[in-house]
Amino acid sequence: MHPREGWTEDRRPELISRRGFLSKGAAAGLLLGGGSSLLAACSSSAKPSGTTSGTLTSGGIPLPRPSSPVTWPIYKDNPAIKSGLAPEQNATLRLFNWVAYINPDCLKDFGKKYNCKVELTTFENMDDALAKLRSGQHLGFDVFFPTVDVMGELVYGKLIQPLNHSYIPNITQAWPDFTSPFYDGKWQYTVPYTIYTTGIAWRKDHVDENPYTMANPWAMPWQAKYRNKVAILDDARESISLGLMKNGIFDLNTTDPNQIAAAGQTLQDLARLTNVHVDNNDYTEVPSGQIWIHHAWSGDMATAPSYMPKGVNVDVVGYWFPPDGKGPVGNDTITVLKGAPNPVLAHLFLNYMLDVNNVLTNISYNGYMQPINGITPQRLVAEQLLPPSLMSTAVLPSYFRRGVMQLQIPTATNALWEQAWLQAKSA
Amino acid sequence: MAAGQERVSVTGPVARRSSGQRRLFWAALAAPGIIWLAVLFIVPFYAILAIAGGQLDLFGNPVAVWNPLGWRTTNFTGAWHDIAGASAFVGPILLRTLLYVALASVIALLIAYPAAYFVARFAGRRKALFLILLIAPFWISYMMRMLAWIDLLQTDGYVNKALSFLHLISQPVDWLGGFGITVVLGLVYGYIPYLILVLYAGLDRIDPALIEAGRDLGLGRARTFLRVTLPLSRQAILTGMLITVLPMLGDYFTNQLLSGTTGTTMFGNVIDDQLTSSGGVLEGQGAVFSLLFLLVLTAPMIYYVVATNRSSRGAT
Amino acid sequence: MTTAITEHPARETRAGVLGRLRPRRNPWRHAWFLEGFTWLYLIWSLVPVGLAVLFSFNNGRSQSVWQGFSWRWYYKDPVNSVLHNPDLHAAVIQTLRLSVYVTLITVPLGVAFALGIHRWRGPLSSSFSFIMILSFVIPELIFGVAMFFVFTKLFTPVGLGSLAEVLALVTWNVSWPALIVQARLVTIGRQYEEAAADLGATPWQVTYRVMMRLLTPAIFASAVLVFSGVIDDFVLVDLLSSNSGNTPMSVYIYAQQRGGNGGPALNALGTIMLVMSFVVAIIGYIGYRWLTRGERGSRIDALTTIAGGES
Repeated sequence: MHPREGWTEDRRPELISRRGFLSKGAAAGLLLGGGSSLLAACSSSAKPSGTTSGTLTSGGIPLPRPSSPVTWPIYKDNPAIKSGLAPEQNATLRLFNWVAYINPDCLKDFGKKYNCKVELTTFENMDDALAKLRSGQHLGFDVFFPTVDVMGELVYGKLIQPLNHSYIPNITQAWPDFTSPFYDGKWQYTVPYTIYTTGIAWRKDHVDENPYTMANPWAMPWQAKYRNKVAILDDARESISLGLMKNGIFDLNTTDPNQIAAAGQTLQDLARLTNVHVDNNDYTEVPSGQIWIHHAWSGDMATAPSYMPKGVNVDVVGYWFPPDGKGPVGNDTITVLKGAPNPVLAHLFLNYMLDVNNVLTNISYNGYMQPINGITPQRLVAEQLLPPSLMSTAVLPSYFRRGVMQLQIPTATNALWEQAWLQAKSA
Repeated sequence: MAAGQERVSVTGPVARRSSGQRRLFWAALAAPGIIWLAVLFIVPFYAILAIAGGQLDLFGNPVAVWNPLGWRTTNFTGAWHDIAGASAFVGPILLRTLLYVALASVIALLIAYPAAYFVARFAGRRKALFLILLIAPFWISYMMRMLAWIDLLQTDGYVNKALSFLHLISQPVDWLGGFGITVVLGLVYGYIPYLILVLYAGLDRIDPALIEAGRDLGLGRARTFLRVTLPLSRQAILTGMLITVLPMLGDYFTNQLLSGTTGTTMFGNVIDDQLTSSGGVLEGQGAVFSLLFLLVLTAPMIYYVVATNRSSRGAT
Repeated sequence: MTTAITEHPARETRAGVLGRLRPRRNPWRHAWFLEGFTWLYLIWSLVPVGLAVLFSFNNGRSQSVWQGFSWRWYYKDPVNSVLHNPDLHAAVIQTLRLSVYVTLITVPLGVAFALGIHRWRGPLSSSFSFIMILSFVIPELIFGVAMFFVFTKLFTPVGLGSLAEVLALVTWNVSWPALIVQARLVTIGRQYEEAAADLGATPWQVTYRVMMRLLTPAIFASAVLVFSGVIDDFVLVDLLSSNSGNTPMSVYIYAQQRGGNGGPALNALGTIMLVMSFVVAIIGYIGYRWLTRGERGSRIDALTTIAGGES
């Protein structure tokens, strides 16, 4: 589940406005819902050039894993634009992004720089976004910000176009890993956007334990003395993963029914021990003190300073992610849609969002880190974008390399995950 | 129908013809409603059956199977395992739901009855005023009332402030921390207006002469109440309980708003989760649970329908 | 009474004895305890809402500390007020839209149904009359589940969204006009119909010129009930809404409140909902009283009828 899933327009991270959530968590497995159109694409006339190496497939589409990276095919009827073209004049660049996920100042600045208008349309969950794109309507979007786990659907469904790298020299500013990430070999279709982790947020003034010194920090929530003060995220993948990691299993895309059942069981234990809350309000509940230990997202906790009640210092809020990087990591990407009316401007926009200064402006708005050289925890603290106590919400390159991504799993496995989660939620 | 128009006899061939025409006319009036109900009430329940008897397709979406011969038992066995199998988890939830609803409806009755009784019998000249105040929550949406309560139940809200002012608590209580009692009281608060209205209507209908008769026969106040008023209001109590208990059993939002923890989930939450937050894979089991729910409630629902039918068809 | 006691000492009742021994208490005395209890109930019932309405005018974010009166959350705040926030705005419009559409469809449908069923006896009509009452008492969650499945699996062109919401709400609410009109028909009796028929009126004329006139108050009351019922509805629209464009106020408040304390803008939204319902109720009451002028009936009856009670 994406941290921005279900957000509505009135969430403005830099204001102290209250936010809301329509939590209808979508499982990764549902993302293949438009299967029929995908299968049609597979059997279309254009012969793909390029290799796909991936041992795991679902419905004929390879599932990228760090251990089995995928280089997507490039279709003859979906080529990249030619090099050396001039940017479109008097154009309106249209972006399609999550709610409250990109700084409007960045859009204004880009518009001034390239003499164009920039329009933003938002979506609340990835399923809706994909359904819209698949519907074939003439939406006129140029740039799309998908998560990593829908890459297969986007490529095989020919919804995005391959990139012409000559327009995006700033890729050198991104972490080297992203010039050939496992989910998009040779960065044919994507550049990275935000990067985030899932960890544990806690109140240092109410909780004695320090996860950094605990033997099994993932087990921190499992303490009866904090009854009613513990919360986990309302998402099947995230929370079952918490159970898995507590049990020492770090394959967060496991298909082993025993492991899944054991994770579900340990979550039920958590429920009985602590009467655990199930919600995605980490960013308000930990600062307000309503919850003392919350399974949390890094970007949400980075905005904690704006939710602290009067008189309480942000130092009491901590965020833990394993220093060895073995925990859930996720990243978003930016892509150019097939049939974009302004492809050159779109490429230039991708280039723009890789420049460290623009990225700093963006981070000041949505709190989510981006994998750009020069964006280090120290830099963020120096720029006053992050309080020192929350430096751990910043993501390090090693996290991306060693972290575990929650990716698409086969349908049958997904059913197991959902079932285990339902049982855990109702314990 | 002007004055002086001739009276037409309603017997004879003319009458017989127009009687058939008349039947057609009334049938035509009722037809849109009948068709509407058939398409949008009866068919959807068949859709639940079709999903319950169906399966997941390649991509994890539930597929409805319309032909009864093609129904599989996958979802049914899955649901059975949830209730009684090795990994059963629904049992405690059912018990908890029944407990909450029983508590909430009894508390609601104990509060609503005296208030309704007062307004029906003793309000005198101020009856209209009291009635307006009594009915007012009926016009205030459930969500707004819950919102109001949540505001008050915050750790720094007025309930805690009042309680510590009265020295009843030494520390602010975390009412929204996940307590069954908060949910039960929330259910009471939410559903009591409907109960009060039904009770009021029933109590109001009692002929004062009967109560006077009881008094004349020497019964004290309490006795009059027990022997006269209570039995006469029995129908109202039953109806009121029905329209309170039945919706409460399917409630899922009160728990979500006032608690949000695993320790207070109700049966409605299970179905809601299966339908909306499982990404489709558990919809089939949600359908089965809905059918079970329906089955269990059939008896009380039919009782209500028969009772209403009887009274609405003129058997007052 | 004293004579009765002296003449028949063997039949002296306990109440009679106590009545002599205790100071005589007026059995018709004012019920202080009950009145106090009722007032306590009313306070418990209405004061929280009053406070919520009050704090929607708060000049700050707090729900418990008064920071001055302001229309900030209604239209002044350029970002978060109901007027300026696109999602809050859309919620208000959607609620109004649903209420109007649903009332316009439900009332004619229900009235026609009641009229037809009342006179067209037979197995079909009784079974559908049965189903009509069933639709009144079925738990909304189950009905919502049925609607969810039927719109996503069978009538797929409809899908989830405003159309599905309207169709489901009509079906859910059609029992109001049907039952109210049916009750009124029973009260009216057949005398007017038969008189009109005797005078040579066709069934259409009877219906239109006689029954409708007599039923206008009931029809009006049911329209009021349906309208406010739709404003308040939650479960059906929660299951059938798909994006912020078709989310009415009730669902919006629920979603925001679940996501942590929603803040005063939600109070403003709730107050708007409340005002809408009250306006409808007042129109309903005044209208009903005017339509039933000259009839035997009091303010009390009007109040109970527009609240859905049988009078």
